[in-house]
Amino acid sequence: MNVMTDPDAVTVDPITLQVIRGSFETIAEEMGHVLYRMSFSSIIRESQDLGAGLFDVNFNTLCESESTPMHIGSIPGYLRGIAETLEDDAWFEGDVVVHNHPYHGASHTPDLAIVVPVFFHGRLVGFAGNTAHHVDIGAATPGLIIDVPDVYAEGMLFAGTKLYRKGEPNNAMWNYIRRNSRAAQQLVADIEAQVASARLGARRFVELLEKYGEPTVFAAANQLMDYAEKMTRQRISEIPDGDYSAEGWLDDDGRNRDKRLKVKVTVRVRGDEVEVDLTGSADQTPTAYNVPFEGSTKVAAYAGFRKLLLDAATSDLRVPSNEGSFRPIKVTAPLGSIFNPRAPASAEARFTQCNRMIDLIIRALAPVMPEKVIAGSSAAISFAAYSGVRPSGDYWVFLEVNEGAYGGRPRSDGPDSIDNLMANTRNNPLEDLAMHIPMICDRYELRDDAPPGAGEYRGGIGVVKAQRVLTQAFITHESERHTEAPWGIFGGRDGTVGRCTITNPNRPEALRDMPSKFSGLAVEADDVMTYYSPNGGGYGDPLDRSAVKVLEDVLDGFCSVGHARDVYGVVVDLEAETVDMAATEKRRKKMRAV
Amino acid sequence: MARIGVDVGGTNTDLVLECAKGVFYHKVPTTLKNQSIGVVEGVQGICRMAGIAPSEVETIVHGTTTATNITIEHNGAECGMITTEGFRDILHIGRHKRPYNFSLHFDVPWQSQPLVKRRNRIAVAERILPPSGVIATPLDERAVREACALFRKRGINSVVIGFMFAFLNDAHEVRAREIVLEEMPEAYVTLSSEVAKVMREYERFSTAAMNCYVGPKTAFYLRDLDSRLREAGVTSKLRIMQSNGGVSTVESCAKRPIRILMSGPAGGVIGGASEGAMAGEANIITVDIGGTSADISTIPGGVLKIMNPRDTYVSGHPVLTPMIDLVTIGAGGGSVAHIDAAGAFHVGPRSAGSEPGPACYGRGGVEPTVTDAQIVLGRLDPDMALGGDLRLDASLSHKAIEEKIARPLGMTVREAALGIIRIINNNMALAIRSNSVARGIDPREFSIMPFGGAGPLHGVALAEAMSCKDVIVPVAPGITAAVGLLKTDLQYEHTEAVIVELMKAGGAEFTRINAAVATLRSRVEAELDNDGIPRDQQTIMVVAECRYHGQGFELRAVMPEGPVDAANCHVIADSFHDQHQQDYGYSYRKAEVELITLRAIGSAAIRRIEIPTIPRTDGSSIDRALMFVRPTTFDDGRTLETPRYDRTRLMAGDRVPGPALLHQHNATTLVPPGYVAETLDYGNTRIRLIGA
Repeated sequence: MNVMTDPDAVTVDPITLQVIRGSFETIAEEMGHVLYRMSFSSIIRESQDLGAGLFDVNFNTLCESESTPMHIGSIPGYLRGIAETLEDDAWFEGDVVVHNHPYHGASHTPDLAIVVPVFFHGRLVGFAGNTAHHVDIGAATPGLIIDVPDVYAEGMLFAGTKLYRKGEPNNAMWNYIRRNSRAAQQLVADIEAQVASARLGARRFVELLEKYGEPTVFAAANQLMDYAEKMTRQRISEIPDGDYSAEGWLDDDGRNRDKRLKVKVTVRVRGDEVEVDLTGSADQTPTAYNVPFEGSTKVAAYAGFRKLLLDAATSDLRVPSNEGSFRPIKVTAPLGSIFNPRAPASAEARFTQCNRMIDLIIRALAPVMPEKVIAGSSAAISFAAYSGVRPSGDYWVFLEVNEGAYGGRPRSDGPDSIDNLMANTRNNPLEDLAMHIPMICDRYELRDDAPPGAGEYRGGIGVVKAQRVLTQAFITHESERHTEAPWGIFGGRDGTVGRCTITNPNRPEALRDMPSKFSGLAVEADDVMTYYSPNGGGYGDPLDRSAVKVLEDVLDGFCSVGHARDVYGVVVDLEAETVDMAATEKRRKKMRAV
Repeated sequence: MARIGVDVGGTNTDLVLECAKGVFYHKVPTTLKNQSIGVVEGVQGICRMAGIAPSEVETIVHGTTTATNITIEHNGAECGMITTEGFRDILHIGRHKRPYNFSLHFDVPWQSQPLVKRRNRIAVAERILPPSGVIATPLDERAVREACALFRKRGINSVVIGFMFAFLNDAHEVRAREIVLEEMPEAYVTLSSEVAKVMREYERFSTAAMNCYVGPKTAFYLRDLDSRLREAGVTSKLRIMQSNGGVSTVESCAKRPIRILMSGPAGGVIGGASEGAMAGEANIITVDIGGTSADISTIPGGVLKIMNPRDTYVSGHPVLTPMIDLVTIGAGGGSVAHIDAAGAFHVGPRSAGSEPGPACYGRGGVEPTVTDAQIVLGRLDPDMALGGDLRLDASLSHKAIEEKIARPLGMTVREAALGIIRIINNNMALAIRSNSVARGIDPREFSIMPFGGAGPLHGVALAEAMSCKDVIVPVAPGITAAVGLLKTDLQYEHTEAVIVELMKAGGAEFTRINAAVATLRSRVEAELDNDGIPRDQQTIMVVAECRYHGQGFELRAVMPEGPVDAANCHVIADSFHDQHQQDYGYSYRKAEVELITLRAIGSAAIRRIEIPTIPRTDGSSIDRALMFVRPTTFDDGRTLETPRYDRTRLMAGDRVPGPALLHQHNATTLVPPGYVAETLDYGNTRIRLIGA
């Protein structure tokens, strides 16, 4: 029998460590690449709403692809859930497991995990796995759900389910999946792509073990985790000890329109450790608007600190994607609250709450980290499911993630119309879309109905996207922030709330202002859903913004001449395309005096 | 009849001249402000070396970084854009994905350095509808004229025209150009349907915008170079290396400068491929190691690979144009070794460049670089750099490594230097892997071909890391890219979007496909005709870019001989299934295959440089080439008394056992113990394990 040398007893020299780290990262990227290039549904192939990586037998992440943040760090939760529920209570070589149960560690039900055990010399040594968002798993409404009674309305639930046992396909299960989705062809082909990616990862893992030896590889993995932990602790210890709080309000739960939901974040910094306490946030909701604690709440909190403390753009260090950076961070949410619901509550629509939590972590820490934080971002998402039935009787389902905007920053404006915080997907080419489904985009531009939050560095500008359906269709929309604008900071002004309308070019008078969340809305041919994402808040006093920057914004149509004069104190000559510097100085002086 | 290849790099302009008297090599400093000054000087210089008059030069082939540098330095033309109402900000939004997952302070290059500022993107009424391309709203011609008036007021003379669904119907783009040229006769105009007639609005608009952004300056540079050469008495044809590895004319590149954004590295890849043929090896992985970066390309079966157009980005902007499949990583002689706050040991991607350069240059650099590690290990002789033209100070290398790496990590200087080399080699090996193994290529069937001055120091280590079969060192490693310029063909490509589900296709679809093929062929023929290539010397290949219905990424499939019909249509689908299997290790044999784009590639062979062979060994001892013996440290940590040989004095068939260094003016080759270096017919070298 093979007995593994205790990896703690092995010290890997710094050079081999970098070599193994590089190999891990390449394997994860390769797994992600195969998955999104092969897949059929646009949510995976274009949006790249997926994650992939390798894990040890204790479910520690050894490496993970740089795909979308909501997936990064979520797979260990799935692995723990699989351990609780695994068919046969044992792993065999050649097994492939599918898992998505939100009360057994999943991020949310549409994100199916595919996990393959990795055997080395006949012994289980780890896992290769990935997660990907699927178009339709047979939930109550096509694509997305919000207004549903419980988790059983979310569609097919898998827990430790074997799609292959010892290399043999479980045909009954494959057939079951094929019969229970509105987009069965895409679902099955995309699961096949996930299996191909996971198997590739397992093969590469074994090659790595053969090359460097098991003790060295796992010792290196441990050292890399310690390294990430050390980096994180160092940065936490730079924050003064204390309790920092911030709160905000979510629009509603998707059913009870008059009831706003509180999000309260308390960040407790003690030496080189930190706790994110969500106590005081709303109770769990009766709809799908809840956040699975293990697979989503914790993952989002970790990601928030990673952005704040280990900014990948400003530091030339790259911290490896592994468990180490999570260790000094504790996440608390009372059972029965929106961030830690009790079964059988549904918890599918969880994204906007996660984004708002991160936004509030940033806000809470603003007083002690003014150079690291940014003003309030859109911190929402627009997740739309369009669907309909073709003349053949088959469904078409299209999931679209719309972007947001960032808050102003200590040294630069907030980026415009871009995926925000936990989201980082790619949009669908509008031409590709219109060639393949009965929809067409009428407008995709920057918002010009309201300015972004003014500031020395202004907030980012949100998007306006108008999608028209060409036949009768259903729309479900998961969004937020129609009632509370992104916050300005250090003298910066607040941004603008989001908006969603339904119109029809044939009946221009019938404009419907929609709530931020709605489920299974039946719409007519030529109905247009227009989404306006929130504009970001401003950072610093608008009177300190460079007059030339204000001019540029006026010329680019980001700011009117009046707004420039009234808020920024900048007098622009639009005809000459110049700033009247003397008048501006005079005006700014007067405004400062008030 | 003489021909010159001239490759402009960041530091040096390399030249090679081939004439009846033989092959000559020359290097002059690059003139960064205007590359043409250095090019003309170099051309005059190499003609003097060869003893010929500049008027005897028949052709000059040029590899240039001019267009690339415009994108790096952000000093392209101020552009205007005319686009579809409702879609003014396609270029600003891009694919709405951030460059970093975990960052709050990231830059968004397409927003902070826009190719066209929003104020100059004018949306006009017009609408073309899918799937047929029917016109739903006619072009608002008055709005186009008003846009021109604004551009004139702002002094803008470079105009992008990009309309939604123009890949289905280009009538509005063509009409808008007519109007723009009436209003602004001198304008530099690019149509999105002309540069990339494919689906996907952002990528198509970005490609057109990039063409307008780099166009005016690049066109000026090329025409200026042409006239300077003429003033210098050079009457030859000037040809430019394109990113796809084919050469083209000055006029054609001035019109489509996006085709030469990768002109620089392309010459190296082609040079490497042809050196592979000279050594009798079809499967080659080229590694072109410069001062700051390394370009890596995998060439299976002697055929250059062209990147999937979905992967071609330049300075953060997508540019849909054929480019040789290569990866560039921040690993070169100037890569800096450093230790971070948490104690991790890194090499690169930051480079010391040529100013201050590696510590051993003595120009004030105190950070240790890869070059310093080579010096400490005795792999570079400080008195032999560039044949002794460049003097290096070994003590400065030693000091930098000791202070910055060895002492903090508690290592000896030698161990630290070995570590630097090992990490940089590993970084390169990982990049090679991503360009080879990750695409299903087995490196055991490939030879590593290292070049650039420092390349052959890394060849054997990279071959070991990748389990490659051996190492082939080119004849003149420091100048391989320039030689590559004289080893390629004229090449042009055009595309047409033809979206057809192949398994359901009938007569109407086949007619569309065949009509598109005919259009593409005639366009490519016209370009080759323009170059004066007789029809019987033109080669035109058409490929079908396909995907499974519902997928988002296309792969290339072959087209059947003759017109496509019901009987031979399966050829396309079969070839696509096979390609999918090869690229991803999986195929869906029963799924519908959808044709998305047809691409015609036209080429015409031009005469290749002939590198002369060297004499066979007369059986005499290799001692004739021995220069001196010095200690050198190898990767296994052993320091051995290592002989240095003058590579130019070795004869074909000579075998130099490791440990050894082979010196020549522009490069040093490392032969570790256990390996043997065999001189091949052209003075090129094969290094392999003894007994292998």
